[in-house]
Amino acid sequence: MVKAKSISKEFFKGFWEILPPFRLVLGLCPMLAVTKYVENGLGMGIATTFVLFFSNIIISSIKSVIPKKVRIASYIVIIATFVVIVELVMQAFFYSLFEKLGIFIPLIVVNCIILGRAEAFASKNPIHLSAADGLGIGLGFTMSLFLISAIREILGAGTFLGMHIMWGSYEPFAFMIEAPGAFICLGLLLAMMNLVPTKLNGAN
Amino acid sequence: MKEYIKMVVVLTVIATVCGFLLATVRYSTEERIVEQVLLYVQGPAVNKVLSSSTNDLIQDRQEIRIQDQEHLVFVGERNDQPWAIAFESSAGGYGGDIGVLVGFDIEQDLITGIGILTHSETPGLGARVTESTFTDNFNNKTLNVNFNVKQDGGFVDAVTGATISSRAVCLAVRKSLELYPEIKKEIVKQ
Amino acid sequence: MEYIVLAINAILVQNILLAQYLGNCPFMGVSKKMETATGMGLAVLFVMTFATCITWFFQHYFLIPMHIEYLQTIVFIVVIAALVQLVEMFLKKLIPPLFRSLGIFLPLITTNCAILGVAVLCIRKDLGFMDSLFFAVFSGIGFLLAIVVFAGLRERFEISFIPKALQDTSIALVTAGLMALAFYGFVGIDGSLKALTMN
Repeated sequence: MVKAKSISKEFFKGFWEILPPFRLVLGLCPMLAVTKYVENGLGMGIATTFVLFFSNIIISSIKSVIPKKVRIASYIVIIATFVVIVELVMQAFFYSLFEKLGIFIPLIVVNCIILGRAEAFASKNPIHLSAADGLGIGLGFTMSLFLISAIREILGAGTFLGMHIMWGSYEPFAFMIEAPGAFICLGLLLAMMNLVPTKLNGAN
Repeated sequence: MKEYIKMVVVLTVIATVCGFLLATVRYSTEERIVEQVLLYVQGPAVNKVLSSSTNDLIQDRQEIRIQDQEHLVFVGERNDQPWAIAFESSAGGYGGDIGVLVGFDIEQDLITGIGILTHSETPGLGARVTESTFTDNFNNKTLNVNFNVKQDGGFVDAVTGATISSRAVCLAVRKSLELYPEIKKEIVKQ
Repeated sequence: MEYIVLAINAILVQNILLAQYLGNCPFMGVSKKMETATGMGLAVLFVMTFATCITWFFQHYFLIPMHIEYLQTIVFIVVIAALVQLVEMFLKKLIPPLFRSLGIFLPLITTNCAILGVAVLCIRKDLGFMDSLFFAVFSGIGFLLAIVVFAGLRERFEISFIPKALQDTSIALVTAGLMALAFYGFVGIDGSLKALTMN
């Protein structure tokens, strides 16, 4: 194994090696709840990326001052601050998206991916690597949300970003939009991912 | 001991900085959020009852004080002259208060129409007061008619199976009639 | 009667795990053994009830009077984290047997979105104190029911043939989907009961 850590490596690992939630089984709730429509999925992904990126940077830059015993409490306060910022900004500029995501915006604070990265990565690595890690994992998460919401919206409603794309006589498979469809869709995607060995991208 | 002091100091500093940051963000977005909420919650009803206005209805809203009560009034303008106003009135329905936006044509003293803003009535029954088949009852009515459901001697066709909700809407409209002269006076004065 | 409808709604129709998608991380994470699943379910029920009551008081006697509702998220999560710590300490001192069975799950509960989710839902739905309390208890029971049934199913995986790609989380998700489908059958029951009570 190569010991040296580079920005690009930390950035790109989030897209495949530890792509959440497939390789890193965390953050399932938003993955199931907000992927009915592509718009919601993308909005959630971007909001999470924002929080993950900034909380990683801040936590990494003050990691040496935080006493061990209160580190989790400090992380939670920092993460919650960024979540509230997202809440306010979204309410001010993307109100309809804010309404659609509803309760799942405040719940970004308990998305295990964010606290997980703070504890496992940002608290041990320098700022530039933590920033790359946050951005990479965040965008990987967004990509997964996009993929699942695209499958669910196209099959379940026959639309993509609200536009009709299936042929006229297509009968929407409404099961995909409902809760059971979310679980099964994610489960089958995970199985497909398992078929492809992790090492496939071993080029780098 | 020293460790405890450090813990307290660090947590206090983090909380203060975060609080300050949030207060700043809150301060700079507050006005826009109020406007967005109005646009999405009240906007559709306002645009409906003041439909032929040429101004930005949400932007030109006014707060008018009548007997120590603030009323949010939307003013519709045509040819730069106010021609109609709309404000909210409410009355208790079956599941809770029903908020009704009532629009008035101030040139001819007519009700232009009503829109339901908030309600918690039963879906499929009371909630049908939001549908246009019911709200159209009130379109272009002079102010001296009897705003009551037919069972009570008025002219309004109540929603089938939802007389309580229909009565509440009528009551809200009658309440708004009492306020209308005062609010009109204030608007015309300007 | 009103609470019976609420119970059926919260436990079966709008099951917090299977219909509202809240708390899925522990649902997948600690449902491999019946014992741990029961422990987790009870711990969630316990903390959820307490957390909802306390956050309700914070919202109505602190945030609203001070006009800082926008800080809801941050205040709630800090309150929940502190509460979990307190519960842990009390159980350890006062009821050691309960602590031994629930103790290991408590730290995980802070980041369980079902807890924060139910607390926020009660505020968003504008529920009164008693309604919030019952809603939290019933949601907790719903969580317990779903995770225990799910663990029962998952224990069978050990003796069944499962294709390699589907193993572990993947088959668990598909199973959860089928369970959600079964629970989906309850949709409408609460509505008809409500209509019955009205007449």
